[in-house]
Amino acid sequence: MNHYKIALIGNPNVGKTSLFNKLTNLRQKVGNYPGVTVEKREGKIERNGNKFQITDFPGTYTIYPSSLDEEIVFKTLGDKTNSHYPNLAVVIGEPSNLKRSILLYQQVRDLDVPAIFVINMKDEIKSKGLNIDLKKLEDFLQTKIYLTNARTSEGIDELVEAFTKDATPYNRHYEIPKEYLSIVEKIKNEFNLKSDYLAWQYLSQKEVPFESKENLSKLDTIKKENSIVSKRLQVKEALDRNKILEEKLNDIISYNFDGNETLTDKIDKTLIHPVFGYIIFLGILLLIFQAVYAWSAPLMTMVEDLFGWIDEKAISLIPEGPINEIIGGAIIPGIEGIAVFVPQIAILFLFISIMEETGYMSRVVYLMDRWLKPFGLSGKSVVPLISGVACAVPAIMSARNIENDKERLLTILVTPFMTCSARLPIYIVLIALVIPDEHIFGLSYQALALFVMYILGVLGALGSAILLDLIIKAKHKSYLILEMPTYKLPDWKNVGINVWEKTLGFLVDAGKIIFAISIILWVLGTFGPGEQFRNAEEIVTAHHPKMNEEDLANEIASYKLEHSYLGRLGSVIEPVVEPLGYDWKMGIGLISSFAAREVFVGTMSTVYSLGEVDVEDNGQKDRLLHRMKNEINQNTGEPAYNLATGVSLLLFYAFAMQCMSTIAIVKRETNSWKWTLIQTGFMTGLAYVVAFIAYHFLK
Amino acid sequence: MIENYSLKDLKIGEQAVVTGFSTEDIPAKFYEMGFIPGTSLLVKNKAPFGGPICISIISNKSVLALRRNEADKILITKK
Repeated sequence: MNHYKIALIGNPNVGKTSLFNKLTNLRQKVGNYPGVTVEKREGKIERNGNKFQITDFPGTYTIYPSSLDEEIVFKTLGDKTNSHYPNLAVVIGEPSNLKRSILLYQQVRDLDVPAIFVINMKDEIKSKGLNIDLKKLEDFLQTKIYLTNARTSEGIDELVEAFTKDATPYNRHYEIPKEYLSIVEKIKNEFNLKSDYLAWQYLSQKEVPFESKENLSKLDTIKKENSIVSKRLQVKEALDRNKILEEKLNDIISYNFDGNETLTDKIDKTLIHPVFGYIIFLGILLLIFQAVYAWSAPLMTMVEDLFGWIDEKAISLIPEGPINEIIGGAIIPGIEGIAVFVPQIAILFLFISIMEETGYMSRVVYLMDRWLKPFGLSGKSVVPLISGVACAVPAIMSARNIENDKERLLTILVTPFMTCSARLPIYIVLIALVIPDEHIFGLSYQALALFVMYILGVLGALGSAILLDLIIKAKHKSYLILEMPTYKLPDWKNVGINVWEKTLGFLVDAGKIIFAISIILWVLGTFGPGEQFRNAEEIVTAHHPKMNEEDLANEIASYKLEHSYLGRLGSVIEPVVEPLGYDWKMGIGLISSFAAREVFVGTMSTVYSLGEVDVEDNGQKDRLLHRMKNEINQNTGEPAYNLATGVSLLLFYAFAMQCMSTIAIVKRETNSWKWTLIQTGFMTGLAYVVAFIAYHFLK
Repeated sequence: MIENYSLKDLKIGEQAVVTGFSTEDIPAKFYEMGFIPGTSLLVKNKAPFGGPICISIISNKSVLALRRNEADKILITKK
């Protein structure tokens, strides 16, 4: 049995991912390339007694990367020793932009990578008005050309058969410009390269990621001595190649249009209309919000019921003792706290994925660029900012396709301000506590308050973007150029896989942290130093001789917590949170929610000794609210949750960076502790100041 | 009749041919995406309040968008 590594390479919007899904038949996994965070999609199949390892590379227009993800293409194809270096590269194009795909194909072949050419979406050859002389094109490209339609599986079997054939011999296409011949020769000798074109790449690429540090500094010196500017070489190559292609393709490919407007033109008349375009976009946003909050409710109840059932079973099946308590009381509820967001996140990704699949997302980028640019962001920041309403973690990852370093960094830094779904349960509880349940003009104050919290998130993001824009220096000039693909019906398989992967990724990544934090919190809350903790039962019973059993048990739990390690911790930070109007119990809530905001409600219910509280369950919620309402702040003698402390807490939660997963992902994506710490410090500092001002203003 | 307009000056519906660039400081991506001297294009849409410009490449009807800053650096002759 032979083993083949196949690389799928192609421009964005050519249906590469659909083809990958068809080829691998969903037997695929997502990982990372060694040493970098670029997402690697890989599938393994067996056909005709052979094994194929198929990798879907990030979409790119050329082998010169302009965004982070694209760097992996040259890194892999330029280095024969790379573990992903393919036996065969499959370069994919589609009818409307063949020239650009051919250019990429020729670059790949000039690097001496064996490759074949595929024209996907063959059904569109006619509708796009493409006339193509296949025979001549095959001669020109020096390979057989495969026509496929990934949506209907046409041509897929033939393509798989081609995987085992040797690629046809190829004569290098790109002629190194004369004035560079001598230095290319020098590079070849210096770095022991066989191919002229690879040597040219050493000069024209901004970075050669697979060379040793030593060699890179040598390369730098040679480039400086000969005043080589990489970008100029890239431009030269693009112009040269295009010129030749223009000539050669003249009698191979032609387009004729019947003069009628295309469907895409017609749709665009409305969707990017200066007025209606924005109205429709706003309408879609509202629809998404409606879906995320209203449609997800029954699903969330199902998740809760499921976990309630599991928890019950676990408690009854595992023998009583610390293991039972830790699993039933900490781990399962902890995981439930995160699993409950899965419906919301899945719905949000469903919409985002459909917007991307249909081609609408580029229109949103087009419409919004003007409005985000003054904040130092780009139209492309729209995707992370919208996704941030579900969860900052996948949102920050989606910032990768922003080419400009500064705009990308800014987007990553401000996205956590967006009101993520983890803030929602806290907002619900706090708003119910401090905002009167009254109406004005038929609008409930509480609903308005919730709306204001969302607006605050957006203002926080944009406001800090302005501030950071002044501080951060741009390495490169910002620009925007984007392709507006023709509108298509979504490929539902792609949508499904995308939603599944993103949601699962969120569940696993965040789940790990919540898992750890739940255990730590449980240990800190269950054990304590000193006599008071150990003799809690006797002390409380002595104080309340007439109390019934249930209340007594709750009272004991509460007393224990106060004197546990967690309670001590609360007392230690009390001086810090006192200026904001909080007592030690809220302090515990704050500490525990530094791990993840969603822990707050759980901690509060432990602090107020109510056992498990389910905010969706009105009876349980009312009990928690009742306890919180009657709680007296021991420092001020006033109700612990009044308008001033409530608003102060709300504002704190709106701005503070209280999510370990986000901190971890920011570190991973920026590859900088500096920016990660600045962001955490800035957000939490801002939260503190704003909460302080609000408390003293309303007190 | 050498009138050097920039792409920014075109109105919606006007056609033009790219003649060159007013500066060398153009990202390589512009060339790669098809802004090559000799390319015919048509302005399809302009986002309001100085937003990006949406153009259609005549030869294959592919549609691209770019900011006005950059459009200003692309020189054209009107058709």
